[in-house]
Amino acid sequence: MNGNPILRWPLLALLLSALSLPALRAQSRPSSPDPLMSLMLSQPKIEIATQVVAVASFDPPLVRPGQQSIYRVTFNALEESVEWPEEIASSPKLEMLPGAHGQVFHMNIGRLEPQTTFNSRVRASRPGQYTVPLFMVHVYGQEVAVPPAQLEVVETPSSSAPAAAELSLEFAETNPFVGQAVNLRVVFPAAEGAPVQGLMQVQLNGDGFIVDQSSQRQRFERISHSGSALPAYIYETSLTPIQAGNIAVFAQGFAAGLRSFGPLSMSPAGLPESSLGPPQYSLLESPTVVLQARPLPRDGELPGFTGAIGSLVLGPVTLATNVLRVGDLVKLSVKIANNGSGNLARLVAPPPPHVPGWQLFAENTEAAGGLAIFEYTLVPLAPNARATPAIPFSYFDPKRSQYVDLTIPGVPVTFQPGAAADLSALMQPGSADEAEKEPVLSGLAAGSGWTSSSLTPVQRRVWFPLAQLSPAAAVLALWLWDRRRRYLEQHPEILLRRRARRALRREWRAARRAASAGDAPGFAAAAVSAMRVACAPHYPAEPRALVGGDVLQLLGLPDNSQPSNGSSQIVRRFFAVTDAARFATVSADAAQLLPLQPELDRLLQQLEEKLCP
Amino acid sequence: MPLSRISKKCLAASLVLFFANAGRGAADDELFREGAAAYRASDYAKAAKAYCECASRQPASGTLQNLGIAQWQCGAVGPAVLAWEQSLWLKPFERPARDNLRFARKSAQLDAPDLAWYEVVSSWFPSGWWAWIAGLSSGLAISMAMLPGILRLRKSGWHQAVAALALMVFLLSVPAQLGALTRSRIGFVLQKDTPLRLTPTAEAQTVVRLPAGKAARYERERGNYVLIRTTPDGVRGWLTREQFGLICSKPCNQ
Repeated sequence: MNGNPILRWPLLALLLSALSLPALRAQSRPSSPDPLMSLMLSQPKIEIATQVVAVASFDPPLVRPGQQSIYRVTFNALEESVEWPEEIASSPKLEMLPGAHGQVFHMNIGRLEPQTTFNSRVRASRPGQYTVPLFMVHVYGQEVAVPPAQLEVVETPSSSAPAAAELSLEFAETNPFVGQAVNLRVVFPAAEGAPVQGLMQVQLNGDGFIVDQSSQRQRFERISHSGSALPAYIYETSLTPIQAGNIAVFAQGFAAGLRSFGPLSMSPAGLPESSLGPPQYSLLESPTVVLQARPLPRDGELPGFTGAIGSLVLGPVTLATNVLRVGDLVKLSVKIANNGSGNLARLVAPPPPHVPGWQLFAENTEAAGGLAIFEYTLVPLAPNARATPAIPFSYFDPKRSQYVDLTIPGVPVTFQPGAAADLSALMQPGSADEAEKEPVLSGLAAGSGWTSSSLTPVQRRVWFPLAQLSPAAAVLALWLWDRRRRYLEQHPEILLRRRARRALRREWRAARRAASAGDAPGFAAAAVSAMRVACAPHYPAEPRALVGGDVLQLLGLPDNSQPSNGSSQIVRRFFAVTDAARFATVSADAAQLLPLQPELDRLLQQLEEKLCP
Repeated sequence: MPLSRISKKCLAASLVLFFANAGRGAADDELFREGAAAYRASDYAKAAKAYCECASRQPASGTLQNLGIAQWQCGAVGPAVLAWEQSLWLKPFERPARDNLRFARKSAQLDAPDLAWYEVVSSWFPSGWWAWIAGLSSGLAISMAMLPGILRLRKSGWHQAVAALALMVFLLSVPAQLGALTRSRIGFVLQKDTPLRLTPTAEAQTVVRLPAGKAARYERERGNYVLIRTTPDGVRGWLTREQFGLICSKPCNQ
């Protein structure tokens, strides 16, 4: 910038202020609060104590031999932060089993304070003074001292000794079937002359069952306890075993003890009437109850069983309309009621069957208390049906220990005349609908089926490429043979010479054998025959038609050549002897030819060379 | 006569072989029946053992199918999936084995192996059939092209048509054979929660834990470890030999 330097700084300041204005406006605008954040901020804070304190006690502190007492340790800390030891030492040794443990929060001046309790079930077989000495527990990563606690075991405790507060767990049935909902109640009676207390965070401990949270109820009631009517807190719910066998269950809950100020009086309903202070929580538990869950019998199971157990009753079956058209959607609803006391919340509707002429879809199941409603959508595909298809359904009656058929009956329907065409062809078996059928495990194969010596594919065998090429190789060989054959057909002299060579060698061998055997006529005949067969392809002529002159001509020796020529003389002598043997009346002396074998060999060698191409 | 003596010896040897095979077949049938009886008595472990022995003596599609069912009932998902795959390997038309695989994969939430197109084609017939189809079609194509000339027959149109058809079948069978070859390297994890290791050592870092019945392709091996690549997700790592069963391995060899 080459402008006036006096104006430069005010302009820059103006620009900066213009840029900062929107930011200032945004800061000044009130921001809309995040509802979740607001909700979180509105919750009271949880107090994490810097000074964790443990309190240990026996409840009751005075028992008879064999009577159970609860060794209870309470921390003002979160349960997850406490590393509770698996074994606790005592002196003398007590029979100690792990019991309930849990966490509760109580409000203290705008803050939630956690309180965690660990119970142990303690029994002593002999009278005496039992002490659980001081021991250390890790809480929030730091060691916290659990103070010592004493249990006194005497043969006859005084009647003024406080009794332990204990829950009782009562089942409507202790021998249920797997899947059968069992009603239970947790009872917490008030102590003699004491006000009734409520329970918080009641829960059932154990494995192999589920608890129906939707069916829980709680109330105060007068109950008969040890011959006297006492007010009691009662918590009711239902439990469903999910595995067969013995299932051990016990209940636990925090007793919200009331701290009263001033005189305490009881209302006619057994409820306390007094000015009360903040509650004090103590973790109580019930003795363990063992249920014997029985498996459902496999025999006699009926179609449409979806796990329903109880005493069910079929209510009215309602169809949206009884006058249908092919292809229309129509709603079918069925009410199922429970004659017993069980909840039908977990009732599963039976799957719709595959019926020719209809298409059925299961919609939803609505259940509330002892009533459930199954809803189906039906689509008629053909106009010839008189009623909706029956839907198989059954349940198991635990009282009779048998399955009961509760098939949903068909509802009569009529079809409007002139309705749409028959659509059932679209639902032929074997279509996509069948392909999407739920897969099931098949039965056993009746026979061993196709066998093989090995599962290794032939493609991985060493001989496989050779085997694959063998047809081609065979045909190739055939083709080469045919080519050779055609060549030889065009050049017959090759075959003649080859045959002549073979015949020459044969006769030559015969001549040698005759010579070594001293058979002079045979030697002469074989030698002449060898010369004839060796010369025949050159003319060509029949070997037996050739004479000595033909041989001489082939060898390049004129018939009138000098007798001094060795080869010529040998040829003549051999032919003369053989001709004489065949045609003369007096046979010639062939023995004189035997010494000529070396010369004959040379001659025949010459003839053989002429046969070579 | 020496010839007649040789003939008698050959006949005797043939009879011995025949009866030995017949005896073995009878023993296999006995094992098969024993397995079926144990299964019906709900003694699935005994049934699996009987079928296992029967299948290891002579692999058969029905035996492997029943072996898979018995092992499934014993809770052995991996060996059951392998047995059904082997049953299909022997006889691709075995519908129950195919349905059982669908059932097992749906129940155990497993994926079927991801096959290339030529591997899908190869699964239409047993692998041995493809070898025969290729050999016969190639031979037929060459013969139809060349034999008329060799036999000095007049070449006609149908010779060429048959040769072209046979050549087409041969060309189609070549990828199928390749598919059978590559499919034979597919295997299945036999044990549940099998750790897939980064290196072939016991102390190796675990890449992922594989469920029983998970399909994978064999790549190579080192010592007691095999390198596999899972399909279809393609995770690569090492397993011990006994944790992995190839589709073409001897039944119950693990």
